[in-house]
Amino acid sequence: MLGTFIDAFVFPGLLYALVWTVGLFWFFRKFMAPLHKRVGPYFNGPHGSYQTLFDLSKLWTKESITPKGVNSYLFSIMPLLAVVIGLLPAAVVPWTPSGPALSSQYSLLILVVLIGIEPFLFFLTGFGSENKYSFLGGIRVLTQAISFETAFFLAALAPALFFGSLDLSVIVEKSSWGSFLILLPAFAIYFVALLGLLEQPPFNIPDAEQEVVYGFLTEYSGTNYFLLNLSKFVEFMAVFAGAGALYMGAYKGIFFDGYTWFFLKMVAVAVVMITIRAATPRITLNQMLAFSWRWLVPISLINLAWVLLARALFFS
Amino acid sequence: MSKSMEGVAKALESFETEYVENYKPTWFKAKLKSPDEIVAVAEAMKAEGLRTLSTVSPTDWPEEGIMEMNYFFEDLETKRNCWVKCEIPRDPERCEIDSITPVVPSAEWHEREAYSMFGVRFRNHPDLRYLILSPDYYGKFPFRADFDMAAHEKEQLEHVKEIVRDFKAEQEANDAELDPEGSEMVLNWGPTHPASGPIRLKVRCDGEDILGVDPEIGYVWRALENLVTRKDFVGAIVAVERLCFMDNINSMTGYCMAVEEIAGVEITPFAKWMRTLLGEIARISSHMMGTGNFYNTMGLHTIMLWNLDVREYFLDVLESYSGARIATAAIEPGGVRYPLDMKLMDELQRALDKFDATIGDIETVFAKNPTMRHRARKIGKISAQEAIDWGLSGPVLRASGVRSDVRLDEPYAAYDQVEMDYVTVPGGTAADRFQTIFEELKQSVKIIKQAKKRIEEGVASGEFDPSKDHMVKVPKKLPAGEAVSRVEWARGEVLMHLVTKEKAKSPYRLKMRAPSFNHTMVLDRLLRGKTLSDIPLVFGSMYVCQGDLDR
Repeated sequence: MLGTFIDAFVFPGLLYALVWTVGLFWFFRKFMAPLHKRVGPYFNGPHGSYQTLFDLSKLWTKESITPKGVNSYLFSIMPLLAVVIGLLPAAVVPWTPSGPALSSQYSLLILVVLIGIEPFLFFLTGFGSENKYSFLGGIRVLTQAISFETAFFLAALAPALFFGSLDLSVIVEKSSWGSFLILLPAFAIYFVALLGLLEQPPFNIPDAEQEVVYGFLTEYSGTNYFLLNLSKFVEFMAVFAGAGALYMGAYKGIFFDGYTWFFLKMVAVAVVMITIRAATPRITLNQMLAFSWRWLVPISLINLAWVLLARALFFS
Repeated sequence: MSKSMEGVAKALESFETEYVENYKPTWFKAKLKSPDEIVAVAEAMKAEGLRTLSTVSPTDWPEEGIMEMNYFFEDLETKRNCWVKCEIPRDPERCEIDSITPVVPSAEWHEREAYSMFGVRFRNHPDLRYLILSPDYYGKFPFRADFDMAAHEKEQLEHVKEIVRDFKAEQEANDAELDPEGSEMVLNWGPTHPASGPIRLKVRCDGEDILGVDPEIGYVWRALENLVTRKDFVGAIVAVERLCFMDNINSMTGYCMAVEEIAGVEITPFAKWMRTLLGEIARISSHMMGTGNFYNTMGLHTIMLWNLDVREYFLDVLESYSGARIATAAIEPGGVRYPLDMKLMDELQRALDKFDATIGDIETVFAKNPTMRHRARKIGKISAQEAIDWGLSGPVLRASGVRSDVRLDEPYAAYDQVEMDYVTVPGGTAADRFQTIFEELKQSVKIIKQAKKRIEEGVASGEFDPSKDHMVKVPKKLPAGEAVSRVEWARGEVLMHLVTKEKAKSPYRLKMRAPSFNHTMVLDRLLRGKTLSDIPLVFGSMYVCQGDLDR
């Protein structure tokens, strides 16, 4: 009973997600700053690390405005739902050698499906906002999600086929340097699809500030805005954790196994993501569609063939 | 050059004129006897090659009861220009003239502006609505000499109910026009949109596809052209420099040249070189923002911050010279405002060193960025012929491959002694415009190096006295006169048309023709049929500043 409470509210539950959000948000800012020739957060706390905490708590306590004419139920329930759905995948990820909070034979399936639901919730927030820009943003979220989830699922399927299991714990246990090399193309596809799913440059089309004024976020403020941002950072966590568990051996490391290694691997993914963010302009919706369906999806199908071939050749 | 200035004179021969005179080496000036011939003149000019209308500038003369119309025709390829004047009655009922927009498309918005500000009605204009003024404006035309602010406010208050009624009617018309079951809608792109600046683009779209764009301007209208008439000739520079803060030096240079022409004053070579030097610094400061802003429209802010880092050093130079980083007020009729402390040259050298050390990185990461090029080289395409017909200028014009640059076509300041060439890029797409602005940054640095060397040599040899030569005296009262001056501003051609009365202490009329006006005018043609994602990029590539758009 107590263990379940700790799982749900401390680790890997709510508190962990909050700490992760504050930490990752600060890291994004602090790492981005020198790339921009800036200093970044500086004054509050060591290296400005309290800054994000203050920003989030400020958002949290501000007035949440619900515009006239919207379906206020849909408008307010969606941010909450987005956070809850975003938190769930953490339960099936094997964070430490002692296994995940919720053991399941189908934990990979649970992970990708829960990640896949998130964009539909964002679409509904845009749909429920009664704003032309939010609506356009919502449509864009949906378009992008459909385009990238195919490649994302196919890339996540590669380790499952290779190790013959849908259980993340089994995949992590069986992983080795050899499997890492064989799954490297799948990892690359997963990473590109991750940029699309998380709406990161060059695929930050749904919430493009200069085009659709942050898309589905336009009408949100205060607590609701905080919840939507929180759900995005929690989604970052789930997707990074998926990358760590599927391809990089999760908690496995040199000299010792443990959460530290998992954390470092997730940070490494974040570093690459931010560096791309600092140097790549946004592409258009049409270019994104063409890229996804003409290149990414066919390549991820070919990659599946390669994984099956490699399994038959080296591991039968 | 096959086409000569004589051709322009010949084209004017068949019309009844009061005079045709050589105004400047590249300018003819003529006055028509009858305003009815203006369309025929425009056709003759077009046939001769003067296809662009720089601007229309009415001058209001209430004592004589006339409105004097000034048309400035330009040939951007062979560098010939013609200033055509004619007179129409100023009585609001009869203040009419034929529109030349059907012949010369670049006149479209200029005629709308003349209509809004002076009440000149243009017959046969395709779209004669108020520009800059709100569509529900009631009252007298604001730039007329007999405009009375108190009476105007009273009149507005009397019409409050009508204004509200019109506003509601417009909203209802919008709703009725759009099919409630369809996916068409009107997006208000601005004036508070993150990428718009203070301008409102009424974008009619079907989902992501654009059906039409109608720019509505006037959100930062400061009536600068009217403001200068309330200041003396020196004080007017602070209004002129506010054309746009990014390149304020060159606009002041243009105004001061017009004042000096009427006063008959020749400035010293030292002051000319200083104007060149400061002008290029201001151009760099503007282009740095321009290239940064281009990328901002695609959601990438890194280059802007890198550019600002370099730009600071150039602003330091302006600050050390004039005391201000942005609104410098450093150019004055008669020369430049302050004597030169030669320590400034060390500071300038630091800025140049910083530029040379950074520009390579910016070029590798951003100017050659494949994602940007892949996206930007497909949109916003303007052919050379279109660019000329629409009256585009500056980097936007040169990106379409047209060799036109006022610094070379009609050299002012010390540009006749500077080694430089046209920076042109063929292609005319958004990517080419970025490329042109980027290349011009390097060109400006080369010019600064030449100017710096020349000033240092001149001071060393005793030819220039930096503590005295910066100014020659310009009388406080000017004779009656009229002058036109052109400068190559960072964004393109700025034309100043200055009119003074006898013993005037302040300008009677100053028309500032600024490039963003035409660049915004063509947005609809560039964006129709494209998608919403292209709006910020095309708009950003046109290098528009709302400051000189509204004035």
